[in-house]
Amino acid sequence: MTRKALLISPEACIGCRGCQIACKEWNQLPATKTINKGTVENPPDLNANLYNKIRYVELPSEANMVRWLFVSQRCMHCEDAGCMKICPAPGALYKTKEGAVAFNKDKCIGCKLCAAGCPFNVPRFDEKDKISKCHLCSDRITEGLSPACAKTCPTGAIQYGDRDGIISDSKKPGYEKLYGQADLGGLGVLYAFKDAPKLYGLDEKPAIPESIVFWHNVLKPLAYIGLGGAVAASLLHYVAFGPKKDEEVKKDE
Amino acid sequence: MSNMVRKASVFEILNHWSLAVSFFILTVSGFGFLYHIEGVGSIFGGFNQMKTIHNWAGVVFSVSLFFTLFSYIVEALSISGDDIAWIFKGGGYFSKKTVVPPQGKLNTGQKLYYLTVLIAGIAITATGLVIWLRPEMADIRKWILLSHLVHNISFVFMVIAIPLHIYLATLANPGTVRIMFYGTVPVEWARKRHPKWVQKIGA
Repeated sequence: MTRKALLISPEACIGCRGCQIACKEWNQLPATKTINKGTVENPPDLNANLYNKIRYVELPSEANMVRWLFVSQRCMHCEDAGCMKICPAPGALYKTKEGAVAFNKDKCIGCKLCAAGCPFNVPRFDEKDKISKCHLCSDRITEGLSPACAKTCPTGAIQYGDRDGIISDSKKPGYEKLYGQADLGGLGVLYAFKDAPKLYGLDEKPAIPESIVFWHNVLKPLAYIGLGGAVAASLLHYVAFGPKKDEEVKKDE
Repeated sequence: MSNMVRKASVFEILNHWSLAVSFFILTVSGFGFLYHIEGVGSIFGGFNQMKTIHNWAGVVFSVSLFFTLFSYIVEALSISGDDIAWIFKGGGYFSKKTVVPPQGKLNTGQKLYYLTVLIAGIAITATGLVIWLRPEMADIRKWILLSHLVHNISFVFMVIAIPLHIYLATLANPGTVRIMFYGTVPVEWARKRHPKWVQKIGA
């Protein structure tokens, strides 16, 4: 199965938030009660019932007084996913054959370590502390349908397809470099940014926290080797030097 | 048996068993989490339940560890020239001819072991609590990452130190493990291995 991906084009987004609604409809997620804070950005942040959110960034300048960026914010479906790396429960987070990072609430143990492992601050947790996030509509895409957000997007700001095809199709003047093409082994959500990723609220160089990489590459094997080594060293000592028998203990007279 | 001397009180024996059993549960479940071992998960009735058991075994472990302070900390921190000499002689474990300097109630190796387990135990408890309870803080993610790192570093120290401790208290030093059951040892045994202690209690 070829890896699938979403292509997000903020320049094409009109900020209608149809994707937010379609996502809620498909995943049967209730609305979140919020208060008006004088912005269209609503709810203010991702939550357990909001897998996909449009971030509104106002960038007024001399040249363009009303420059307003709309960016879909959600799980990036990393190839090398920090959440999966740190997760202690097998099967709680898993890769679908399309490359989506999906979750199984029954297997999730609610430790929330994935939130620390995610470079994009995506995982949220429901009232039972179980993980909740975009799963690229894994139940739809496995049937050959496109994710609800892409299906409903009226302007093509969210496009879905084969990852390789999306990358080659998007190479247009001004968009030579896609955000997420190579980061973290390649993201499953790619962004055609006109400006620096920072302006859209994303890190220039997203990465799994170094401590997790160190833990995964060094500490994990070390626990295994350390335990085995301690047992082996004990046995070796027993064979090589033998026990300290009572009658052999020399007293310092 | 006559001529026995008490090295551990009943409370110390029970507390040590509590440490041993909780440590065993914590380590087995810890490896289950670390390596996604499904078989370990099913022993505990699934990973969800294993998390609960791991957390509460941690509570038992840390409470027991706290009580050890009353038993060993003073002794473990009383370091003399004999301890330095003991280290240079490898505790007499690498030659039958070595004569080790006289030791108190705990020998140098036991002191170092206790301090290692105490420090690693405090670190693994504190960081385990942070991961478990996730206190409401602005930069909680950094604290979780730090705790996760320290928790695992402490774990490495533990899984190296404890097998050595078990070996030294059983196979390597015949006659030692009975302390874990009876708390008493023969005076002659104690005189050879802990002469300064025997002298002190005047047995």
